[in-house]
Amino acid sequence: MNIAFIKRIIFTSIGRKTVMALTGLMLGAFMLFHLAENLLLFKGEVAYNNWVDLLLSNPALPLIELGLLAVFLAHIAAGVWVRIEDWLNAPRGYESRKWQGGRTIGSATMLYTAVLILAYLIYHMLTFRFVDHSIGFYQMVTSAFRDRTFVAIYVGGAAALVLHLSHGMQSAFQTLGVNDPKYTPFIKLGSWLVALAMIGFALISVYFLLNMDACPADAIYQVTIQ
Amino acid sequence: MSDKKNGFSVTVRVWRQDGTGEPGRMKAYKVSDVSPDMSFLEMLDLLNEDLIKKGEKPVTVESDCREGICGCCGLVVNGDVHGPDEHSTVCQLHMRRFRDGDVITVEPWRVKSFPVLKDLVVDRSALERIMAAGGYISVNTGAAPDANAAPVNKDDAEEAMDAAACIGCGACVTACPNGAAMLFTGAKISQFALLPQGSPERQRRVLSMLEAMDREGFGNCSNEYECEAVCPKDVKVANIARMNREFLLANFFGKAEPQSAGSRD
Repeated sequence: MNIAFIKRIIFTSIGRKTVMALTGLMLGAFMLFHLAENLLLFKGEVAYNNWVDLLLSNPALPLIELGLLAVFLAHIAAGVWVRIEDWLNAPRGYESRKWQGGRTIGSATMLYTAVLILAYLIYHMLTFRFVDHSIGFYQMVTSAFRDRTFVAIYVGGAAALVLHLSHGMQSAFQTLGVNDPKYTPFIKLGSWLVALAMIGFALISVYFLLNMDACPADAIYQVTIQ
Repeated sequence: MSDKKNGFSVTVRVWRQDGTGEPGRMKAYKVSDVSPDMSFLEMLDLLNEDLIKKGEKPVTVESDCREGICGCCGLVVNGDVHGPDEHSTVCQLHMRRFRDGDVITVEPWRVKSFPVLKDLVVDRSALERIMAAGGYISVNTGAAPDANAAPVNKDDAEEAMDAAACIGCGACVTACPNGAAMLFTGAKISQFALLPQGSPERQRRVLSMLEAMDREGFGNCSNEYECEAVCPKDVKVANIARMNREFLLANFFGKAEPQSAGSRD
């Protein structure tokens, strides 16, 4: 059995970037799906909890979660490997060195936004995934968003996502060889729209912080991290 | 050469290093009687004439055509790869870009795969080894074939020409935050991939050249396009995308295996 083509995907520079691009696009698609789910919070308790019940009733859910975890880990592993190699090979020692106009804030901060997103993801998991859900998902989420620190972390996470995706989405297409003057402007525009959509996560948390759903104070439950 | 009437003075801070692996340092020299009509390299010639007269070692600098087409010269001037002019080589930089009393910092390409040989000269043979791994086509021996024997679409021919305009100066590697040689390799693969003459070795070429590129210790591409911004020949990053496409097609749908450097079968 010839496994050279698999080895080339893992051990060559373009192979690793392909892994990063494909998993990145999958994660981008997941983020859009996740945002769409959470926009149901604006619709109210019944709509949101019904959706969550439907999700939880899927017997394949643990497998889907494991798949998502695998995609995340592959994206992180490819990213770490690429970054270590880049760090080892980076030109250094210049007394004076200017960037020449290709870099953007998004592209120059990919590593930092990646670390921020990972920290945000871990916090998100600890506060929403691995906690007692007995009070109901809508109650749990909206109560948490009445807390300023909590919302600040969510707004920060969303900002990091916008920056990360502003470079990452269009970069993924280039890595997969999709670049042509005909449609690259559309890819760039679409990537920016996907990136800016991440502001939605921040809007949801701010909406409940400002009590725009007019929830009575005695119905607010305090979420604690276990 | 210099017009003494219009001449001005600059201070050149230049990297001095005796050889590969030796410690180097920046050293400042004053250059007088600089004419605004001089090229940057002529100004360095002026400095060297002065150093020779004083009995000091001249600054070693590489240059050949001095008309922007050979890719020999390559310096980081005041932090700009190939100097402050866009899409230009350092030999096309003129002293009219500077003023009297300016301090000009001149450094060599500082890339892991391009060791400094002496002062401002670096060893760019890593790029040649990438070319040797697959940058060729097979032709029958005997009489020269008819120039138009293989029909080529004009648009493809022009795109191949644009990729072939790469002079291998290494500015893309120098400008890259990761020290990647993707624009160079992408251009060298594209110039063949776009033409029928390049088709017999097409799959093996991309696998072999990429293997050679990775072996030489260049970094990975993070699609920041600093390379495109400095390329003196304005080679586009679409060539990197084409190389990625060629790689994916060859890896998943091709039968070819890379050919290790030095062996020919």
